[in-house]
Amino acid sequence: MIEFLRRGAQTRPERPAVVTHDLTVSYAELLAMAEGAATALSELGADRIALADHEAAPVIALMAAAAATGVEVCLLPPDGAEQVLDLVGRFDHTVVVTDRDDLPESALPAGVRRVGLAGLLATPAQSAPGDLPAHRPHLVLTTGTTGAPRGVRHDWGRLVRSTAHVQPAGDEHWLLCFGLHQFAGLQVLLHVLAAGATLVAPAPRRPREGLAAMRALGVTHASATPTYWRFLLAELRADGGPVPQLRQITLGGEAVPGPLLGELATTFPDAHVSQVYAASEFGSTGSMRDRRAGLSTAVLERGEDADVALKVVDGELWIRSRTGMVGYYGEPDVDAEEWRPTGDLVAVEDGRLVFLGRSSEIINVGGVKVHPLVIEERIGAVAGVDVARVYGRRNPMTGQIVAVEVVASAGADTTAIDAAIRAACADLPSASRPRSIRFVDEVSTTGSKIVRREAP
Amino acid sequence: MQDRVEQVVREFVARVKPEAGEVTVETPLYADGVGLDSLEAAELSAVLEDEFGTDPFQGDTMPETLNDIVSFYVTA
Repeated sequence: MIEFLRRGAQTRPERPAVVTHDLTVSYAELLAMAEGAATALSELGADRIALADHEAAPVIALMAAAAATGVEVCLLPPDGAEQVLDLVGRFDHTVVVTDRDDLPESALPAGVRRVGLAGLLATPAQSAPGDLPAHRPHLVLTTGTTGAPRGVRHDWGRLVRSTAHVQPAGDEHWLLCFGLHQFAGLQVLLHVLAAGATLVAPAPRRPREGLAAMRALGVTHASATPTYWRFLLAELRADGGPVPQLRQITLGGEAVPGPLLGELATTFPDAHVSQVYAASEFGSTGSMRDRRAGLSTAVLERGEDADVALKVVDGELWIRSRTGMVGYYGEPDVDAEEWRPTGDLVAVEDGRLVFLGRSSEIINVGGVKVHPLVIEERIGAVAGVDVARVYGRRNPMTGQIVAVEVVASAGADTTAIDAAIRAACADLPSASRPRSIRFVDEVSTTGSKIVRREAP
Repeated sequence: MQDRVEQVVREFVARVKPEAGEVTVETPLYADGVGLDSLEAAELSAVLEDEFGTDPFQGDTMPETLNDIVSFYVTA
């Protein structure tokens, strides 16, 4: 991480590292902040800190400083003060770095110290960079879609190693669509810095602001969830403005519906469209660029030498990753040579691994297991549907029924869409047909991913 | 209330079982009557919950006729 900034500042110091609507920070400027913060962190004496801030440049500088000194940083999600304090307690932090007005020293629990971020970054660097520590921890919190958030322990050495394939590409401008507290955001950041490219980081990181940044700030590359891309396409249709000139579109974080790949390819004809299969726990498994949904079954034949290998066990994808997490917070290290279930259910069809959904998202309709993604994909292809969320709705007759929430296009006839959805699903097995269709203004998402579980 | 309940149920039956013809308050909802299967009954349960906030299928006794459904809401 810090090594990328040092390299960038040495080869092209004036090249923009981070761009927002308000400012541009060069590699040299970002490195100066990071080296100063590294000095400040060394003086601070803490071996772990929680960071509650979300402006990209300061956050990146502090993460780089931590990576240089071996201090574990946990970037907290951009939540309210109450949730932030809950996470501080849950993960046993005693130092919170923030400039937020709603997180004064007096609001912190006893024994927890507040340190200003701006002060850390303004510290002059006092010594020449030394060797990097052997142990360089970083803590990423999961989004908590399956319960309380978990801490996933990473090591900067492994994370940097996962970017070994990245080629220099200084002219690329990557849009940051994820939060840097998310593992996917971290991956985009590492890719950008490894390539010596530019990170475009508008706030907040929603599709509307993303589209505006694509148009105004010269974005050429973007990586986001399928849900994000669906909303971005809806924004694009609704505002009728110019189509951004993207060269690369990457999708990840959720199963990618085939129709969406086609729609993106049509809308952005000059862009390469690829999908990545990655997770906080096991890192990235690489990307597929053939514009077909799912992964090639070739990923199952990588062999023992590969850092990341995959296999299918009873319909579930299993993984062995040497570039993945060190372990969960509060738990022993995991064995990097050990195979682990991913929770992703797959079927092998025509040389592809087709994603059926998460094992935790299966809908049990009177004892029949139904995968929501297949249904969601059909409904998503119905004219007038911007986004669909399929989930199991509790029911006294069958335990659960297949339910769908639909965000309709502006001005669309919902009665006609309702009928079209039922017609599109008429040939599905009876248990798989949607039995509840509701039109909503927005669907439930976490970290730009659709939540496919019913609210408690 | 009774009229609204009857209207919702008849609209539902007209959509999922158009071949059932006219539904009186005494027509059995299942088997030789309207012929709803368990999943269609589950769907009717969700429709009623969406419309009225409660659902007669949640109780101990499953409604057998439109009259049973009306009674659930009228006596509630």
